[in-house]
Amino acid sequence: MQLRKFAVCLLFLFIPVLAQDDTLEWLGDYKQALEQARQTKKPIFLEFRCEP
Amino acid sequence: MLSPKTSPLGKLLDQYIRVRITRNDDSDIALFERDWNNTLYYFVMNADEQIYLRYGGRDARGPLTYLDFDSLELALKQGLELHKHYQNGELKKTDRPQPFFPRDIPPLVERTFAKGQCVECHLIGDFQLIDKEQKGTLDKIRDMYRWPDIRNIGIEVDIPRGLVVKEAKGPAQSAGMKPGDRITALNGTPVYTWADIQYRFDKVPRDAKQLGLTADREGRPVSVAMALPERWWLTDLRFRQLSVDPRSEFECRPLTAEEKQKYNVKPASFAGEITRIGGFAQMMKIHDLKTGDIVTAVDGVDTDEIANTPELYIKLRKHAGDTVTLDIIRDGKPMKMPVNTQRMFFRK
Repeated sequence: MQLRKFAVCLLFLFIPVLAQDDTLEWLGDYKQALEQARQTKKPIFLEFRCEP
Repeated sequence: MLSPKTSPLGKLLDQYIRVRITRNDDSDIALFERDWNNTLYYFVMNADEQIYLRYGGRDARGPLTYLDFDSLELALKQGLELHKHYQNGELKKTDRPQPFFPRDIPPLVERTFAKGQCVECHLIGDFQLIDKEQKGTLDKIRDMYRWPDIRNIGIEVDIPRGLVVKEAKGPAQSAGMKPGDRITALNGTPVYTWADIQYRFDKVPRDAKQLGLTADREGRPVSVAMALPERWWLTDLRFRQLSVDPRSEFECRPLTAEEKQKYNVKPASFAGEITRIGGFAQMMKIHDLKTGDIVTAVDGVDTDEIANTPELYIKLRKHAGDTVTLDIIRDGKPMKMPVNTQRMFFRK
């Protein structure tokens, strides 16, 4: 039982580390991008990618 | 996708809200107008939908001709700079074009939405043309020859350095453009990237005789008024495989004045020599032309106010699918040759 608790604690400790992804996030929704840009006052980099 | 957060590009991108659109169904194609044959294309803009600059561009050589990490980095830096100016009220607000959506093009709706298929970028351009052709409003010079390249006016840019001129030839050289100049405006409108200049160049009326360019030369602004050459708008249509142009599966060069005299054709004639036969000519039974054939007329016509070759005359004045008769000279003998032009069929 204690081992199980330890494993769960370890998992919670590592979740933030695992979440520190080095890649940049991209939104997939244009309206959401406008909204976020409004809130953060950042400009938008919009990619159109044709994926036939 | 492009870069890790810690790289120079990543650090720049991190200062942006990044969004990737892979379906055009609900895209405002008036606001995001571009050469629809681009596989990748970028807009740097703000929450008010003001576009600061465009990034991307391609030509017949390939889809990546004008995509390059160095020039992208320059564009991203420029975008941040413009955004600062916008926030400080130093950048004039531009008018947003009247919204226009893929659903506003009836043949495109029939081809995609009605079948539950993706509105692929190139289909937008293709069906805009088809729509105009069906409505009888197609202006081939304006609509079919879209997105001319500034190489047509003698400007070769140093791609990684954005709009820095690498080589100025012909009209650009005559107008005073020099290698090292960084182009900053076209007809008074600021341009920051190759995509920007292509976008603005395409907006020039096809009958324009002059073009104004502004450049930065060693820190000083210089402006030139350039005489536009004939057919400055001409582009290579071969990679636009679903276009409305009649495919004749041959290419030719205009005859010189001496050659016209030799073959006894008018000085103003669009007569030309066949330089290449397309791969589908025989397979599709389009014609039996050979390289070296001299074409002197198309359906009895030998002059045109725009066309300088029989190939261009057919593209501008005939419909895809028309059969035309060429007057040719082969091995010194005059002959008649039918050409069954083709409409490129859709690949799906």
